[in-house]
Amino acid sequence: MKTQKPFRFYLGRFVLYAVLVVSSITMIIPFYWAVSTSLKMEQFVFSNPPQWFPNPPTLQAYLSVFTRINFGKYFLNSVFVAVITTLGHVFFDTLAAYAFAKLTFPGRDKIFFVLLLGLMVPFQVNLIPLYRIMATLGWTNTYLALIVPNLTSIFGIFMMRQFLKSIPNDLLDAGRIDGCSEFGVFWRIVAPLALPGIATLIILTFMGTWNDFLWPRLVTSSEALFTLPVGLAQLQAKNTSNVAQIMAGTVLTALPMIIVFLFMQRQFIEGMTAGALKE
Amino acid sequence: MTAGSVSKRSMQKIQNYLMAYAFIAVPVLSFVVFLLIPMVVSFWWSLNDYNGLQPAKFVGLQNYIELFTKDKNFINALRNTTSFVLLGMGIGPTLGLLTAILLNQKVRFLSIFRTAYYLPVMTSLVVVSTIWVMLYNQNGLFNTLLGSLGFEAVGWLSDPKIALVSVAIASIWQGFGFETVIFLAALQSIPREQYEAAMIDGASGVQQFFYITLPALRPVLAFVYIYGIIGSYQIFDQVFVMTSGGPMQSTSTIVYFLFGKFQDLRLGYASAIAYVLFAILVIFSFIAFKMEKE
Repeated sequence: MKTQKPFRFYLGRFVLYAVLVVSSITMIIPFYWAVSTSLKMEQFVFSNPPQWFPNPPTLQAYLSVFTRINFGKYFLNSVFVAVITTLGHVFFDTLAAYAFAKLTFPGRDKIFFVLLLGLMVPFQVNLIPLYRIMATLGWTNTYLALIVPNLTSIFGIFMMRQFLKSIPNDLLDAGRIDGCSEFGVFWRIVAPLALPGIATLIILTFMGTWNDFLWPRLVTSSEALFTLPVGLAQLQAKNTSNVAQIMAGTVLTALPMIIVFLFMQRQFIEGMTAGALKE
Repeated sequence: MTAGSVSKRSMQKIQNYLMAYAFIAVPVLSFVVFLLIPMVVSFWWSLNDYNGLQPAKFVGLQNYIELFTKDKNFINALRNTTSFVLLGMGIGPTLGLLTAILLNQKVRFLSIFRTAYYLPVMTSLVVVSTIWVMLYNQNGLFNTLLGSLGFEAVGWLSDPKIALVSVAIASIWQGFGFETVIFLAALQSIPREQYEAAMIDGASGVQQFFYITLPALRPVLAFVYIYGIIGSYQIFDQVFVMTSGGPMQSTSTIVYFLFGKFQDLRLGYASAIAYVLFAILVIFSFIAFKMEKE
């Protein structure tokens, strides 16, 4: 009996790892294929049998994406919009969350409840009037339309409030006794303690903004303001664009997020599970 | 206590209130201007014939009536979206749970495997769509591989019978890693002792799954399904990039249809569509709320 168990154990382990490896490779193949295609000459993109390795490898597609299409500009737009939006969330969401979590003022819980109700409203409901507001203000086709309506989020406030509630009040009172203003307490005591929560907020906001499509597609028609997903969708829609080129654009759009993820994996996973597992 | 110190203290109090209001001012203002007012306006427009150029004309529930009684394309979009949701929710969370259970077997290199499942989750849907358009191409990787196995080429995105399924497959690939991560975290929080006790009592692996694992996952399952349904009902990006709603409107969805009406400047009608979608999501949110309360 005792000699049989290890055998079954190792067999089970073998099957387990086999399934994990095969399924992981299956998950990665579309990415691999995108990268590999982006390095191919256009005439070999759909060759049969498929070219698993680009032969000959070429950076032609990347060159043309930067020279014939303005992907460099889209890239800068994406970075600019995502960075400013994220900074806005970090500051405004955390500050409001601090007020809702730690300060007392008339109407606090009622206001917070009404904000939470707003979480339920799908974006499509306010989309059209929001567009009209942007048009009336003359903000369409400017960075303002891309950034200002998204400078804070109810979800961000909600998440940070949960986080800040765990900071002991004694610490805040100590700061107040030492003569800190409320903003000073927030800035010197709360914000540093909230850094792990802020890291999660940064990641979720940056990812959401970087990948956003419907809104930027709607409020920008001039190419100079396209973000990467909008530019990429446009490239895909053009009959004249070739597949290697589209894949070069695809890789450029996806890569920054993947790099950020690989460096901040733990915060990503924590951020994603925070909402689901909180009681 | 003198009167002076009292008024000083209440001054201090008012100052603190003002400070707190200043802290929440930007989010509240943003909420009112960019969410609340547009929401109310949108509802008003849904009761009007409005194209953004001429003044709105009040028509009561006419837009809603037209949607459900006259507009075959809307009913089609509603049906497509529901099929998409059923497909995605039928397969996605199951895949997520299976992979999470595999990863929960004290696996080495856990983070590498998890990354493989999770990578598409943080990728933009536009990126996912352009990649899958390439894979689904008539001469693309899938058909080439099928051909080498002796099968005929499939019109992944050109056959009206298959296109919606193809879009769903790409979406499931993109999304189920999210569920993997959530289920894995939930599985890891189940105390080991429960399984040990069950093993001493002679419970089989299957029994352990149904009597320990599933009940422990119930709240997370509710979360995953409800929020998954709400998210899937809003599908847009994939349709926009992969199929433009075609072929023969077989992949037109609610939000894609709404987008079209917006471009046609039927703003009142598009607003009515948005509110129908809102109603659907409210129903699911209500179910979620009920289930979470239990």
